[in-house]
Amino acid sequence: MSHGVLWVLALGALAVVVVRRRSIAIALVALQSLVLGIQAITQASGTSTALLVAGIVLLAKAIALPALLGLIVLRTREPGRMASERHPLARLTVALAIALAVVTLMPRFGLAHADVEDTAVGLVALGLAIAVVRRPAVFQACGFLVAENGLYLAALSVPRGFPVFIELGLVFDIVVVISVAGAFSARIHGEFGTGDTSLLGGLRD
Amino acid sequence: MIEALVIAVPALPVACGLLVQLARTPAMADRINLAGALLTAVCAGLLAILALVDSSSPTQGAWYVVDGATGAFVGVVAGVGLLSALVSPGYLASADRSIFHAARARAWYYLGFDLFWAALLAIPLVNNLGVAWLLVEATTGASALLVAYSGRRSALEAGWKYLVLTTFGLTIALAGILVLYVGLAPHGGALGTLNWQAIARRAHSLPREDALLAFLLIVGGLATKIGWAPVHNWLPDAHSEAPPPVSALLSAALLPTVILVAWRVLVTLGPALRAGVGDATFIAFGLASLAIAVPFLWRPLPWKRLLAYSSLEHMGVLALGIGFASPLATAGVLLHLAGHALAKALGFYAAMPLLGHQPESAERPPRGIAKLSTGTAAAIGVSLGSLSGLPPSPLFFSELLILIGGIAAGHLVVALIAAALLGLGFLGLAHALIEGLLGGEPHRPWPRGRSVRVTERLATVIGLSLLVLAACAYLLPGSATVRMLMDGLT
Repeated sequence: MSHGVLWVLALGALAVVVVRRRSIAIALVALQSLVLGIQAITQASGTSTALLVAGIVLLAKAIALPALLGLIVLRTREPGRMASERHPLARLTVALAIALAVVTLMPRFGLAHADVEDTAVGLVALGLAIAVVRRPAVFQACGFLVAENGLYLAALSVPRGFPVFIELGLVFDIVVVISVAGAFSARIHGEFGTGDTSLLGGLRD
Repeated sequence: MIEALVIAVPALPVACGLLVQLARTPAMADRINLAGALLTAVCAGLLAILALVDSSSPTQGAWYVVDGATGAFVGVVAGVGLLSALVSPGYLASADRSIFHAARARAWYYLGFDLFWAALLAIPLVNNLGVAWLLVEATTGASALLVAYSGRRSALEAGWKYLVLTTFGLTIALAGILVLYVGLAPHGGALGTLNWQAIARRAHSLPREDALLAFLLIVGGLATKIGWAPVHNWLPDAHSEAPPPVSALLSAALLPTVILVAWRVLVTLGPALRAGVGDATFIAFGLASLAIAVPFLWRPLPWKRLLAYSSLEHMGVLALGIGFASPLATAGVLLHLAGHALAKALGFYAAMPLLGHQPESAERPPRGIAKLSTGTAAAIGVSLGSLSGLPPSPLFFSELLILIGGIAAGHLVVALIAAALLGLGFLGLAHALIEGLLGGEPHRPWPRGRSVRVTERLATVIGLSLLVLAACAYLLPGSATVRMLMDGLT
């Protein structure tokens, strides 16, 4: 896998930490999924089953899910910038710190290329960091997709890939989880007038 | 016969959930769901009996396994699912609002309920770690909207927390599965690489560091779904905000079922770790869960939140029993699994008349229920008495078996700490029980409506079942099921 692809994936995830508009974050995640999908199709050429699975994953993650999230953004207009959001530089610092710490601490686990392994681990960590530092519900869904893209990148580096059944099951689960997250996002917006998850803090002991 | 049942058990609730969509009236939807639930429970009960009777010679297929653990867990999930299906019409009749459009709310509730139940029934049956993970993740999708079913702000908050925290936790578990897969098949594998037997067979070929990394990621990730401390934050909120029949499924069926997946990981991957590391991980989660839960059991919490923290405590007890890994502790785990499921489910069902007649119980602890409704008081008494470990509750015997098993396995200090924490937890729950039944000012008794009558009957049936389970405490140690579990899950 080329270094260019790895840089696109990593910078895309970092950009999701920083950007203000939800639609841009969705587009960045879609771009990540598209790059990974093209990579998967390239690797699968000549194997019909792998090609079919790669195509399904690409359609679901680069087109269907971003379209779903985009539809939710259209239906849930935010009145303005969320006051609970921290400064982009502060978000970037926290996310980078989390990602670098995880990449440094994570031992090698046997992928052929260390840079692919580091990028995959970094994407999973950045996905978690996005859920921590971003307040809008849609961004937290994007964080999940970024983390999942990290695992997909690692799976692409495994000889003969991850088992087809699990890849297809995983795509199904992701579609269900993101659809449910979208429904929640719309309901939260309907109830609170915003998708700001920092308002979800009423349940405490 | 067994293969037909293995297919039917998860397929029936799925079919039932789809069939309910065709119902034209609420009463028809209730009837279809009840019929489907009864049929599912009969098939699952039969499968559980076959699995337990034949636990010395487990059955395996290409994608399924039917062993003693399968029997115990399928039996428990089927029982709790049936009870929740029985009380669901009562809950739906009293629900005044929903996250779904009113006209379709009941149909969506049953679809979510049945898909959730189907996934829970399938998890103990599958013979593959990867597929088990997919099913655990599927439970999140099916149950998150059920948690938020009431559509209240607090329910949305609980449902969102549940969705986000468990999804990210399971992402970490999937990372662990990937590490394991790469380690087991460095030159490429297949789905069968992640079969339980294949993991056990090839685990010794894994480098110890890779095995440890995979184990910690998988068990740590699953811990968020189990609700083990310190990654339990979603649990009290989701259990307290979900509809009572769903809370019962979450606490009595979902948490233990995911524990089974973690248990199978321990048994199959554990030998590749440094001796005792796997058991110590479970013991650490168990002690942390007990230590975090007990202070909350002393606080005046609303009824369902109190039950939620009790779930945290009992999942800690199960973790300790598995971590002790001795025959007595394993017998205790099986008894605890069933006893906790019955007592906890009854507690959540008792919340239906409680919240119906005393809506403020959602915000503060109940008081003086014995003076208001003897049926509800009986349910609360049986549930909380059992959960506190008051003899002759089966949980008293199971906790005793686990502690003695821990001492027999050489974990004297851990067993003593756990005994002290369980003692403190008992006092907290006993106080809540006395205040809940006898405290407060006298008020006008509640009318003996449908929800009270149903709860009263459930208290009788579940109370008697708990006594039967307590008697099983004498039968379980040394049984074929326990021997099978000690020799390694299939």
